[in-house]
Parts: sequence; structure tokens; C-alpha cells
Amino acid sequence: MLFPTLAFGVFFLFVYFTSWSLDRENGRRKLFLLLASWFFYAQWDWRFVALLIASAVLNWGVAALIAHSDEAGRRKLLVGLGVAANLLVLGIFKYYGFFVEQAGELLARFGWERDLPLLEIVLPVGISFFTFQGISYVVDVHRGKTPPAKSLLDVMLLMSFFPHLVAGPIVRASDLLPQFDRVPRLTREMAAHGFLLIGWGLFKKTVIASELATRLVDPVFFDPSAYGALDLAAAVYAYAVQIYCDFSAYSDMAIGIAALLGYSFPRNFDQPYRAKSMQDFWRRWHISLSSWLRDYLYVPLGGGRKGLVRSCLNVFITMLLGGLWHGAAWTFIAWGALHGGVQVVERLGRAAFQNRSVIPTWIGVLVTFHIVCLGWILFRSETFPMAMEMLAGLGRFEPATMVTPFLLTLIVGGLAMHWLPPRAVEGFATWLKPAPSLTMGLLIGAAILLVEAVRPDGVAPFIYFQF
Amino acid sequence: MSDRPDDPDIPLAPLPTTLPPSPFPPLQDEATPYLDDPEPSPTQPAEPPFTDPPSDWIQTADAHDLPTAPGPEPVNPLLALGRFAFPPGEPPDEEGLAARDRRWTSRVIVIATVFLLTFNIASVQNWVRQQEPGWVTTTVSRLSEVWSEQMALLGAERPREAVREAYENARDSDWRSGDSTTADGS
Repeated sequence: MLFPTLAFGVFFLFVYFTSWSLDRENGRRKLFLLLASWFFYAQWDWRFVALLIASAVLNWGVAALIAHSDEAGRRKLLVGLGVAANLLVLGIFKYYGFFVEQAGELLARFGWERDLPLLEIVLPVGISFFTFQGISYVVDVHRGKTPPAKSLLDVMLLMSFFPHLVAGPIVRASDLLPQFDRVPRLTREMAAHGFLLIGWGLFKKTVIASELATRLVDPVFFDPSAYGALDLAAAVYAYAVQIYCDFSAYSDMAIGIAALLGYSFPRNFDQPYRAKSMQDFWRRWHISLSSWLRDYLYVPLGGGRKGLVRSCLNVFITMLLGGLWHGAAWTFIAWGALHGGVQVVERLGRAAFQNRSVIPTWIGVLVTFHIVCLGWILFRSETFPMAMEMLAGLGRFEPATMVTPFLLTLIVGGLAMHWLPPRAVEGFATWLKPAPSLTMGLLIGAAILLVEAVRPDGVAPFIYFQF
Repeated sequence: MSDRPDDPDIPLAPLPTTLPPSPFPPLQDEATPYLDDPEPSPTQPAEPPFTDPPSDWIQTADAHDLPTAPGPEPVNPLLALGRFAFPPGEPPDEEGLAARDRRWTSRVIVIATVFLLTFNIASVQNWVRQQEPGWVTTTVSRLSEVWSEQMALLGAERPREAVREAYENARDSDWRSGDSTTADGS
């Protein structure tokens, strides 16, 4: 059940009205939201609802044991076991096939060919997101940053809450558990913000991302050898816009839907292509993941506390594993290595120039954007040879055959939205807040009608569903 | 012996020298004791003493500071009727404000839904076509067909079609002519 579908619209209307009708009793309301979230998840594969429940029970149990334990060594052992159990679940479902295949190839290279047990494992949607949420909950309880949840219901809802379940943002226990303590308050500002985010996300996903994907990106990346440099470059820029509009649209809609149910999610994107360095890019792109990697991987590795060389190594390892998190393929690892490598160069440069800014901001933005685009070639290509073919084709000058004025407008428009005022949607929501319900309803209806009138039939799954 | 009770030199004991206080209020026309009146004239009725009306003069006040009596404000009769029929309630508390905001949000959702059901019923039909046939989809399909026909009589599908047509023209235009071509090349 994808967000921009009629089925989800009907589902959401039912959930919205029922959940607010249960606002007298918070426990019942949470139970209803949990059942609705399981129903939502079961639309992909009902069998994985059991996995979701098992994961929540595991994390709740480990956190409860940590909270009731006074001995430091025992607490450390428990948190280690909890993290390992979460990673085991992720490893089996997401990385088992990849590692077995690599091991088989390695053995064959040394002349020890073996029939390793390859399993056809279906990847549960959103497993990377709910597993990371589980890890952060257990670690935060161990660190004393968040108290253990008051009930199993809270942990289950934290991990299963349908707006963020399948593609984030990664909402931490410290953000959401306190909101579960009482029936939330829905203010007009929250509601206006939610409506606008849903409408804006709908436009970005179903118009910009879908049109660019079907008319330019998918055909060119499918057979790069058939196109010249102009088409290939346009496809790379188009993919940069597509993945931003696709993923940020999901986050916007998730935040908007949660807001209409009374819950507040953290911001996940902040005009990432305005970044003037790679470090700045990761402060603006998929913020919930980058802050997760910082707190639960980079800092435990030592962060920047152990000197320049060690901090460079730590940031490189973090980005490499961040790449692997996106998918079990060498292209993702190379993508992570590229981002890590550039950040290492930036750190060394800052150390050499003693943090003085020696590059004008606009050059920094331009260079960062093109390095990010280079990374998107690795990210989007199915295999390394295809990525290399794309890169080689960028030197082959032939007339453009795929780029139309319409597609160019979408690419330019998708990039130009990064230069809107930083909090444009929030500002617009504050401005619209005093409007009567009739005006607001007609406005929202007209905006959705416009999007519905121009969107292609059907809707492709969000890119980040596969992660 | 003197019978003047106010003569302190002659005690009247054992008789009481003062009367106990009366439980009743004093009479308006109480007769004065004749012993105090040297020449009583019982034939002429006593005239009520003349007194000035009470003064409203305030010694310490400045006349310019005294409030003047406000004149009657003109009242809009419709407004007065409205206030009488629907008297304003108590200002809402925090829970009342939250409930008001929830009602506002719910009304927005209902209005947007009705708007879309009126002008965007084609999306429902598109969605039904993409689903596997079943009891629900068949029912929704039939209902949406009837509804769509009724809305078409009112011309409710025209805005969507006009936007769609303009969008397709823009989407299919190319660099050379700026003209649009349809998907089949015509």
C-alpha cells in the first residue's frame, strides 16, 4: 500500500477518524494505531508482521533487562547481545545471499569450488529502518539517554508506526516514546503543516520523480551505450532530482501523516544540493540516517577524539558501512567509499588550512553537487560495468535524443526548489492557519486535483523501499 | 426628696435609676417628657422640622474629574437578537481549543474529500482498472461509473480534462517546433 494511492487514502481516512474518536483513552488509541500499522505492513507480506512483532519483543525485553540490571558488565553484555541480535536479523534477510555469493567466488578463485547453501530470501520491506530503530532504542536505554518504555505496546508502536515503517525517517525512542505517554494534541498549525507536506510530497513523487524516471532515467541507465554525453549527463542530473524528489516526498508525506495523527517526526531533508561540502551534504540529506550513523557508529569508533588520522579513518569506515546499509552490492560500497573518501580529503584540507575557508561558497556548492552526482551513477547502476559504461559515455559527444523542454523544466525546477526560502512550507502553513475550514478544504482539494490530473497512471514504489 | 432622677445627690434606691434598653426601635413621634418642657402647649400640633435635602457636594473632588452619566449606546437590533438567541459561551479551555482544532482539521478533510469525489472521480475509475477483479473492486467500479455519469451531466469532469490536456501538450512538445505530438506519433 503506497502513500500516493487511493487505497491508502481510504485507509488513512479510516485511521484518522477512528483514532481521534478514541482520544479519551490513550491505551486504546495506541492499540488501534498498532493494529492499523500491522494491517498496513501486511499489505506487502503478512508473514513479515511476525518478524516485526518478534523484533519489537526482542528489543523491549533486552531494554527491560538492561534497565533492571545494576552491574555494568552485565549491562554491557546485554546491549552487545541486543545489537548483535538486531544485526543478525538484518544480516540474514539482507546480506546472506550477497556474502555467500562473494565467499563462493573467493573460494573458486583459490580453486576450492563449493556449493554453498544459497537461499531465496525475500527482503522484508523497511527492515533496515525498523532494525536501526530497535538498535537505537536498546543503546539509548543502556546509555541512559532514554528511559525504558512503559509497556511492550509502546515499543511495538515505536517500531511499527505506519507513517515511518517502510522508508523512514528513522524516529528514535527519545523522540517518539514521550509522545506516546498521553493522547497528543492536534493544533491548527500542525494540521496545516501536515496538509501542505502531504500535497507537496504528492507533487514531488507522482509528477517530478515519476516523469523523470519513466521518460529519461530508466531508459538511459538501462542501456547507456545507446546514448551520447548530453543524454547521459541529463539522465544523471535527472536521477539526482528524481531520488531527491522520491525520497524527500516519502519523508514529507510521512511527517505530514504523523502530524495529522498528532505526532511530531524530525525533519529528514534540508535542501541537500545547496551543500557546500560533503560534510554539509550529510547534514542535509537523510538527516535521520546520518545522525544515526554519527551517534551509533562514528562516535563509538572514537569520533574525532583520537586525532586527525583516526577521525579520518572513522569517518571513512562510517560512510563505507553507510553505503553497505543501502544495499548488498559492491556499487553501494563504492558509493559509500566515495563519500567517505571525499570527507577525508575535506578534513585533511581543513586541517592544512586551519579551518580557513579558501574556496568561494558557489564553487563549493558546484563541486559538491557534481561529486554527489558521480556517486549517484554508482548508486543507480545495477553493476560496476554499467557504471563504468555510463562514465565512459560522458565523453562521447552525440546529439541529445531524450531530453525534451518538459524534462529539462522538471530537472531545473527540481534543482531550483533548493533555493526556495529554507522553511517555506512551515511559513506557508503559518500563513494559512487562520483560514476557515471551507477555504482550506477547497484549497487542499484543488491542489490534489491538479496533481491527480497530471500524474501518470499507476505509481512506482519509492526508491528507498528496497533498503 | 426630689423626684428628679438626674439628681445625683439623692439616691432613689431601691428603685431603679435607669430604664433597661428597649428592644424596639424608638417611636417617630415620641412625646417629650413634660418635666423638660417648661411650657407645654398640648393644643397645637407639633410641626415637622424643616431639613435640607442631602447634598451631593464632595469637598475634596474637582468637578472636572467627576464622571458624567454615559448616554445610551446605539444597539444594532439584529446583533441584539443574535446575542439573545445565541449567547456567547465561556472562553474555551486548553481541551476546548484542542477539540476545536481537531474539528477544523476534520472539516478540512471532509471538504477536500467531497471536492475530490466531485471533480476527480476519474482517479477512482483508474485505480479500479489497476486492481485485480473482486467483489470490492467490482462494486466500487459500478458505483463510480454511475457517479461519474451524474457528475459529467454537471460538467464536473471538465476542469480535470482541461488541465490534463494542457499538461500533455507541454509534455509532448519538442525543441524543433514547440508543437506537441501524441504518443502514437500523430
